[in-house]
Amino acid sequence: MLEVQHLYRSYRGIPAIQDVSFKVARGEVVGFLGPNGAGKSTTVKIITGMLRPNDGHVLFEGQDIAKDMVSFRAALGYVPEEAHLYTYMSGLEYLQLVGRLRGLEERVIEAKATRLLALLSLESWQHSPISSYSKGMRQRVLIAAALLHDPKLLIFDEPLSGLDVVSGRLFKDLLEMLAAEGKAVIYISHVLEVVEQVCNRVIVIAKGKVLADAHPAELTKLMSLPNLESVFAQLVQQQDTRATARQMVEAMQIGQM
Amino acid sequence: MHDLIEQLAARLPLDFRILYRQFLLRVIDLETLSIQADVTAFLGQFAGILIMLSLVHATFNYVGYTVFTDAAARFAFCQHMAHYQIATTMLVIGLVTVISWDSTFPDRRDVMVLSPLPLTPRTILLAKLCASTAVLGLAALSLNIASGLMMALLMGAQAGPAWGFIQSLPAWCFTLAAASVFLFGSVLTIQGVTALLLPRRIFLRVSAFLQLAAFGLFLGVYFVQPSLTDPTAMAAPENQLILGSSPSYWFYALFNQLDGSLPREFAWIADRAWIGLTVAVAGAAGSLLFCYVHTMKKTVEQPDLVPGAGGLHWAPAVGNQLQTAVTHFSLRSLTRSRQHRVAFAFYLAIVLGLALSLLRSELERQPEMSLEFVIATFLIILFAVAGLRNVFSLPISLTANWVLRTTQLRPSPDYVAATRRALLVIAAVPAWLLAASLSLHVRPTRQAAFHLAVLALAGCIVTESCLIGFYKVPFTCSYLPGKANIQVTFWGFLIVLLVLIVPCAEFELRALQSPLKSCFMIAALAATLAALFAFNQWSAKDAAIYFEETPEEVITTLGLSV
Repeated sequence: MLEVQHLYRSYRGIPAIQDVSFKVARGEVVGFLGPNGAGKSTTVKIITGMLRPNDGHVLFEGQDIAKDMVSFRAALGYVPEEAHLYTYMSGLEYLQLVGRLRGLEERVIEAKATRLLALLSLESWQHSPISSYSKGMRQRVLIAAALLHDPKLLIFDEPLSGLDVVSGRLFKDLLEMLAAEGKAVIYISHVLEVVEQVCNRVIVIAKGKVLADAHPAELTKLMSLPNLESVFAQLVQQQDTRATARQMVEAMQIGQM
Repeated sequence: MHDLIEQLAARLPLDFRILYRQFLLRVIDLETLSIQADVTAFLGQFAGILIMLSLVHATFNYVGYTVFTDAAARFAFCQHMAHYQIATTMLVIGLVTVISWDSTFPDRRDVMVLSPLPLTPRTILLAKLCASTAVLGLAALSLNIASGLMMALLMGAQAGPAWGFIQSLPAWCFTLAAASVFLFGSVLTIQGVTALLLPRRIFLRVSAFLQLAAFGLFLGVYFVQPSLTDPTAMAAPENQLILGSSPSYWFYALFNQLDGSLPREFAWIADRAWIGLTVAVAGAAGSLLFCYVHTMKKTVEQPDLVPGAGGLHWAPAVGNQLQTAVTHFSLRSLTRSRQHRVAFAFYLAIVLGLALSLLRSELERQPEMSLEFVIATFLIILFAVAGLRNVFSLPISLTANWVLRTTQLRPSPDYVAATRRALLVIAAVPAWLLAASLSLHVRPTRQAAFHLAVLALAGCIVTESCLIGFYKVPFTCSYLPGKANIQVTFWGFLIVLLVLIVPCAEFELRALQSPLKSCFMIAALAATLAALFAFNQWSAKDAAIYFEETPEEVITTLGLSV
């Protein structure tokens, strides 16, 4: 369904991603992992059409999205990493705005928005301004907005951020249901246990390059490591966290000696 | 002098000084400025503009004074200019007070951020108050730095060069300071009383409307009130109501009282200034005390999230889905964002001022289709539409624009059509209805109906003119300072139109006398509108809807590093 081919993008001559390629099939949930600054956001911005690559292509159902961005956007649902919303609107008004921009019929918008807000436990606050919402509530509004038009491809960038345990569990079940419905899902998260549970495949990216692309179980078996977290740490060569923590405590005490 | 100020400032507590500096930079809302704006530079520019105005006033006062040769004419001129300067100072102070509406009382963000720090509420409140008064003081001083001295010199010259100046200068300074304190205190009193009477949530909503009302009131009064500085006009029974209810006349009388030139029969007007000043100061003190003992605590105690009211949420469709979405988005952005409301209120106040002056002239004499009426109704439409277009260029939440990008499913002409719909629904149609209601009593009726038809076409033409090159969703695009100089473009556009309006209005009045000319005028306007519409649709075909201008990279790297 989605095919990313040799993406390259640089900022002021410094490459952010290099030769990033992968595929996401219908009914597949693909985990997209990487440390901060690895190039995940750049890749997602290119896939959503918000950023143009310097080189490479993104194909959706065999068509280059750059040639027909409108059809691609109509099939895309996106939950960004940061919950940036028009905070002076209420949750319902925001969904109405998104529905109208997507050209949905008025009665369909009303029915879907009301139902989704109720299912996401936002019914009582649907008329309250988003500025008063907690982080988790804003995240739920974003999820509702992404599902409103029944998209074929969904990109969730850190969707569990701010969600409580119940909403987190609901979201994991939702991912499985979406996959069962034939949707293609790209799931970006730092919560590796969830990725391990819900993703059919995991793509690990670091310093702008794809380091691994396989099923989580295959990765752990291949690298002889107990879990995905260990695989991730090994692949991206993360810093010695204990040493850094000690240095932070020492920094706190500067001037007290 | 500078060292003395530094020494005095150093004696103030450190926490107060730090907070004062922070609050001083926040008196003017940062979001109303461009991204790269420097607040201290902005305040400097603001003071610079006022000083320039002051120099212009001073020059005009001096030249005007020397034109007259006899003492009575000079005295009358000075009196007229004294009232004009008091009214202008009060207007500027009023506008600054409105722009910095919420800056005197600590808001929720202040309380939540500063409460965990070792600061007393008294320090926070005092630092806020001092920051607000410092900006008001800067405005009052800058506006009168040259013209105030000149006014004192000219007024003093009536009583003798040396003694007159010594007497006039303190009187003038005190009057302006008192007028400024009166306005600032009145606004604080109104805010305090409203906060006392209403629950906090409702107060926050009402406060927004009060801010708009104050804005309209200050501008409306300034533009509409007549000049009554002539002793005969002041003594006329029909003017007593205006003199008794207009604060600018109260403080004008106060100045004359302090200067020793106020006739005894007008002392009651000056008394109103004293009473007003006392009430405003007492009210402001009460409001601050109330905020200190009640509101700051309430701010912390209020729940983080309250279920929204399920009341009326009527939002009718105004076209296709995209047009409805953009119009509702524009309306909500305009009504719920403080800086956008205030910016649009500036233009609405001009519209209101024109409407009120028309209403006044209609009440005073037999309403007829006059040049004044035609020009005023044209200006109502022009300021409403062009004002809204100008406010559309102020971004509201750039980070949230991603949703518009990812839902951009239609070609650019559809977005231009949606913005057109928003301009028509929010500005052109209400302004036309206002003009129509003012035309109800204009006779002959046929001419009034024809004028309304012309006005409708003119409103559409102004709307189309505003859309030229506007390939963006309202409120979603920032602009780089200096590149898209929207102010220069807007005011240039306005000046050109103002120059065109008088001959157009004269032509319309001539056309009203002949059915053939009337038809020709309607046809010409319709053709202009059709041409502009076609041009906008055609040019939008190849245009891309854009959201933010990004600066071009000045340094191009060669990529030679390994």
